[in-house]
Amino acid sequence: MHYEAPIREPLIIGDKSYHDITVEVARPIETKAPRIWWFAFSLALLLFLWGIGCILYTIGEGIGTWGLNKTVGWAWDITNFVWWVGIGHAGTLISAVLLLFRQKWRMAINRSAEAMTIFSVVQAALFPGIHMGRLWLGWYVFPFPNQYGSLWVNFNSPLLWDVFAISTYFSVSLVFWYVGLVPDFAMIRDRAINPVQKHIYKILSFGWGGKAKHWQRFEELSLVLAGLATPLVLSVHTIVSMDFATSVIPGWHTTIFPPYFVAGAIFSGFAMVQTLLLIVRKMYKMEHYITLQHIEMMNIVIMLTGSIVGVAYITELFMAWYSGVEYEQYAFLNRATGPYWWAYWSMMTCNVFSPQFMWFKKLRTNLIFTFIISIVVNIGMWFERFVIIVTSLHRDYLPSSWSMFSPSFVDIGIFLGTIGFFFVLFLLYTRTFPVIAQAELKTILKSSGEYYKKEQKDHGEH
Amino acid sequence: MANSKKYWQGFEDLVDSPLAKKFQQNEFAEDIPSDEFLGNNEALGNSQTTRRDFLKYLGFSTAAATLAACETPIVESIPYVVKPDSITPGVPTFYASTFFDGYDYAPVLVKTREGRPIKLEPNNLATFNKGTNARVQASVLSLYDSERLREPLVDGAETTWKDALAKVKSALDGAAGKEVIFMTATVISPSTKKIIAELKEKYPNLTHVTYDAVSVSQKLDIYQNLLGERAMPRYRLDKAELVVSFAADFLGDWNGQDVAAEYAAARKPGKNMLRHVQLESVMSLTGSNADKRIKLKPSEYGAALVYLTSKVASGTGHASAFEVGSLNDQLKPQLDEIAKELVAKGGKSLVLVGGNDIHLERFAAAMNMMLGNESAAVDYTDRVYLRQGNDKEVEAALKNMAAGNVGVVMTSGINPAYTLHGYAEAVSKVGTTVSLTDRLDESASLSNIVLPTSHFLESWGGFHPKRKTYTLAQPTINPLFNTIQVEDILLSLTGNTLSYKDYLKEFYQTMVEPKAPENTWNIALQNGVVEKEETDLDYFITEAEIFSIPDLKQRIIEALVDSSTALAKQKAGSYEIVFYQKIGIGSGNMANNPWLQELPDPVSRISWDNYLTISAADAVALGFEMSNDTNGGLNGNYANITVGGVKLEKVPVFVQPGQAIGTVGIAVGYGRTACGKAANNLGVNAYTLISGLEHWNTDVTIENIGGKHEYASIQLGHTMMGRKIVNEVTLADYMNVDPHDWNHHHEFATYKGKLSANETNIWDDLDHETLHMWNMSIDLNSCTGCGACVVSCHLENNVPVVGKEEVRNHRDMHWLRIDRYYSSDMSKAEAAKQGYSGVGLIGKGATDMYAEMEIPSESPDVVFQPVMCQHCNHAPCETVCPVAATSHSREGLNHMAYNRCIGTRYCANNCPYKVRRFNWFNYMGNSKFKDVNPAQDDYGRMVLNPDVNVRSRGVMEKCSMCIQRIQYAKLEAKKKGKKIEDGSFTTACAQACSTGAITFGDVNNKKSEVSALKEDERAYHLLEEVGTQPSVFYQTKVRNRA
Repeated sequence: MHYEAPIREPLIIGDKSYHDITVEVARPIETKAPRIWWFAFSLALLLFLWGIGCILYTIGEGIGTWGLNKTVGWAWDITNFVWWVGIGHAGTLISAVLLLFRQKWRMAINRSAEAMTIFSVVQAALFPGIHMGRLWLGWYVFPFPNQYGSLWVNFNSPLLWDVFAISTYFSVSLVFWYVGLVPDFAMIRDRAINPVQKHIYKILSFGWGGKAKHWQRFEELSLVLAGLATPLVLSVHTIVSMDFATSVIPGWHTTIFPPYFVAGAIFSGFAMVQTLLLIVRKMYKMEHYITLQHIEMMNIVIMLTGSIVGVAYITELFMAWYSGVEYEQYAFLNRATGPYWWAYWSMMTCNVFSPQFMWFKKLRTNLIFTFIISIVVNIGMWFERFVIIVTSLHRDYLPSSWSMFSPSFVDIGIFLGTIGFFFVLFLLYTRTFPVIAQAELKTILKSSGEYYKKEQKDHGEH
Repeated sequence: MANSKKYWQGFEDLVDSPLAKKFQQNEFAEDIPSDEFLGNNEALGNSQTTRRDFLKYLGFSTAAATLAACETPIVESIPYVVKPDSITPGVPTFYASTFFDGYDYAPVLVKTREGRPIKLEPNNLATFNKGTNARVQASVLSLYDSERLREPLVDGAETTWKDALAKVKSALDGAAGKEVIFMTATVISPSTKKIIAELKEKYPNLTHVTYDAVSVSQKLDIYQNLLGERAMPRYRLDKAELVVSFAADFLGDWNGQDVAAEYAAARKPGKNMLRHVQLESVMSLTGSNADKRIKLKPSEYGAALVYLTSKVASGTGHASAFEVGSLNDQLKPQLDEIAKELVAKGGKSLVLVGGNDIHLERFAAAMNMMLGNESAAVDYTDRVYLRQGNDKEVEAALKNMAAGNVGVVMTSGINPAYTLHGYAEAVSKVGTTVSLTDRLDESASLSNIVLPTSHFLESWGGFHPKRKTYTLAQPTINPLFNTIQVEDILLSLTGNTLSYKDYLKEFYQTMVEPKAPENTWNIALQNGVVEKEETDLDYFITEAEIFSIPDLKQRIIEALVDSSTALAKQKAGSYEIVFYQKIGIGSGNMANNPWLQELPDPVSRISWDNYLTISAADAVALGFEMSNDTNGGLNGNYANITVGGVKLEKVPVFVQPGQAIGTVGIAVGYGRTACGKAANNLGVNAYTLISGLEHWNTDVTIENIGGKHEYASIQLGHTMMGRKIVNEVTLADYMNVDPHDWNHHHEFATYKGKLSANETNIWDDLDHETLHMWNMSIDLNSCTGCGACVVSCHLENNVPVVGKEEVRNHRDMHWLRIDRYYSSDMSKAEAAKQGYSGVGLIGKGATDMYAEMEIPSESPDVVFQPVMCQHCNHAPCETVCPVAATSHSREGLNHMAYNRCIGTRYCANNCPYKVRRFNWFNYMGNSKFKDVNPAQDDYGRMVLNPDVNVRSRGVMEKCSMCIQRIQYAKLEAKKKGKKIEDGSFTTACAQACSTGAITFGDVNNKKSEVSALKEDERAYHLLEEVGTQPSVFYQTKVRNRA
């Protein structure tokens, strides 16, 4: 059995038995939803429906319903895309990278983090689709065998790399998430009273029997998938960043983008996990599992990645000056002082300054403060993408073509719609899926549970 | 041998058993149990479906299926039963013709496809006005304007021609005791004039009044007095080395003369390059091309001109005692300088003056005489008849009409109720009014009888634009509607049974070519242009006097003293207004042409609007502000202006760099109420402010009423921000300094040493040596910014029109745009001089420099730069398209496969030149564009070029270098078995460019013009340091100043 020093903070608080964990994790599925859930769900559903309406309007009428123009060809669409993909990063990082590094604290949060990954990648994947002028011909991006002679996709295009990167990431994350869910579904199945429910969970749990062989295969597969998923954490956002980095537009054409984007993605992903878990923790009374220590850990990650992002911003400025290219220099001066200065400084404030509060233990263990910062960081990261995309495009090489961008109600509607869609999925998930990987969590109950730690302390090690 | 091989189906076959034989003969292996079914009568009788029912069902379903099939839309596409000789589907036919609408004149070639005129091209046989400007280019669409009248109207009700003409005749007969006025725009057709004379014979009480909406009548009065006929001298800019223009917008419109080609030819950089000095109030297209531009108020024109004349007179040994009005002291040294230059150039100069003022014109004419320009740039012999309006006749006619002395007023080709002050009121006192017009416009809706006239592409015509030239017009299509051309209407009124075609032919044979045999008519029709020595065309010129230059000179100079006294009385107003014409809309007669409305003004870069231009200083003084919406849309305030007691409300105000302080300008031709869907309710009608056909007025009050006007401005950044975009050099530097100093090419430090952008390469390039390599040269020195290329491109390539709101949203679809940049008072050198350093956190630095660079100078230098797809050989767009919808050709072109495009817009984002245009909406079908896009109209659609497909929604499009023309030329050359000759074809933009700024060709053909231009020391690639290696290159602009 895993040994953990008694001076380490316990990861499970309270006098929990295995059964307690089972009951508490299964509770949201087995009980009626609290009123707050219904309220949140209705709101999310409303936003989602509004978003669908806006998407249908776009498809029916044309991209002209958005605020774009001949100079700014991408704005909220790709901003939202990158933002959602970035958010999706934390799940894989927590479940895969932290698994490989044997960070046990991940166990209370990895399930929800991965769910968040899946759901946000779904949102992200929407945008490359609907931003196309001719969505109905979107299948042209796949290299399918055809009779048009040697008609292939353009393998030079980063947008094509995106297609592969996102789809790979989505499928691996989905499998990884599902594999982890199998023993937990089995637990729900075993407890279910309603025959329909029981049947559904029976199917979902793939006949899990909890045999030693099952556990062995489960562990092995998790490890293999973690190994597979880890490079994806780096690759996806690297490739997304190449949409910009390989172009010739000043402000996009930047070699620092891959690491900078990955750091930013982890930063925003953790912030989103923080937001969601603070809600889940409160709504389902999971304070004993998602402890203050978890929150503090995540705040530290946010602080670290936020600082990396800050260094990246400053490096960009330095490189613009150092390059001696007047277009590049102007692009960055324009970002900070041009018509979109407010976006740039919102980004700077939210992403670079606000995480610095986390140096103070008092602040990083304050739930309300943490919640606020987690929202602020996500606003900041949205602005980062907006700044990169819009402020670079709106004033590029020829001043004659300079323009501005202002979102239309459709732009806003679609963005809100994806937020709605995300929460619809997430809220449904919290009612039907075990939000904590209880099977995994049980493995550390005796090493990291507060009760056992106390026992150990009181009675010594046996 | 091979077919003797036999395959057995089984052993039975092999042994040839009888059973096998039987099976072979039976069609079915087993018996079909048909007897069981049909033989059993009882079962059949019991069945619920009887035979009759079965037939009923069968009948019904057949009928239903047939009916359902009938709902398929039927597209009529009927092939020729007997193919006309002149038409081969897919092959264009060209006819020579002449465009004249009372404002613009151009000999043209009409391109027809399958019997439809679709494009106008310049007639290269012509030597006079051979350019086709934006309005001429666009005029083909007016043919297909569905707002044209289709039937004659009497008292608002449709009727037959017979009835309508009978009504006109009885009105004319009934007006015996009273006057009959026939009011037309300038008529330059001698045969038409002859018909009018015949009409006058029949109705002696008829007066023919010539009215130009934009009048130069007072100028004509001088020359009528001197030369005996209403004509202007022909101005030859190609024979001048210095032109001094007082408010003459000669590149926009010079009394109908198109001098742009000659201007550009004279401005080829070199020792004798034409120098251009402009003195004006509004920033005109001409002023923006000037080497030196001086801001002047209209009230100062007189004093400045008289002052200059006196200096020139004393410099050339003429009497110089004129009364000079009050003149700004700062102006005097500048005028002294100009006078010195003029005297130095002697007979190789030219002084032009704009407006409609007899005194000003007298001084300009006198100065030209003193300098001896009549032997070069001012040609009194080959004089021009393109403007013949007579203000006195118009005034008299209005007076008579108002007095009730007029029985019938007939108007033709004009719209006086819209353009002429006091007409609407006067005409209400007239018994019968007849409008010969193409649409139910403001005047026609006041008329009793409206006779719809044919478009010039449906009409015959013979024109005499200047003394030595006669041109013909021929119809290229049957009248689309029930219309008759003006001359045929007049002929029937005179009682002549000849058709105008025959009348014209007879006229030609008796008057133009009396000595020639029959077939010169056909040759003349084929060529379109007849150019003769003057005596040969004098058969129909009866009025002209014999004159001698010394006599003319004396008569002009004699009158100067009186004129100087008149000019000295000129009073300055607190604000002074100039009425000008926009490049696109001109006098406003083609206002319902969406191509022209969409064409941005070359200087202000605003389309679909007119506005009051004002200087920045006056805007501050009066509290006018310009602002931008968050989407970049430009906004302005409104003003109420009063000119000479007439008030015009809610005029948008636009701050124009280069506007003289104390002056405002406004374009005529807008504010239409009955012109058509595209033109109605755009802008304000400035004609209402013009009370005496003047071009400016000094009695103006302006009241700021605030509000927010939304402009359709196509350009947001107005200065070059210190970048090498339009490369510019002074003539002195061009002549004396090493080209590397003024046409600097970036070099990159590589492991191979210093390399230019074109040599640094990590690509596997296509073979650009073996076949053609199409390149385009754009001479920024020749480009005047006139916009003809933009319209020509629009037509040739079926570019959608998107309307005011979408232009405002920066979603114009122009494949070719003309960028206009102003100079700024701030530059990098200036910033260094003022000690700006660092970013600008402490003290002034780069941020301040750039912020100040964005502000155009109050007296800016202006440059124009046509930008289309640069066809980069290392194209940023091509690498990023995920589906390879845009890719490169071996011939140096960047292709678009519209069918493959999925519309990610990544290519447009990555284009450093921002020339890619996205189909944001379905412009062909979306009802939002119904009023503006001609392609949505059944008639307007007929103008689409069948060689170019119409792009669907969601697709990226851009300049293709007229690939359809390239392919056509290649196929033609292949058929002939020859190589493509340089100059045998060109792109639509190059063809429309009268100044020859655009040259297209194959650089692999070493004899081609473009390959020589590529080696020119002025040549450079736009943004060459990005490494895109474009196929388009530019020639440095040379300013003729020290």
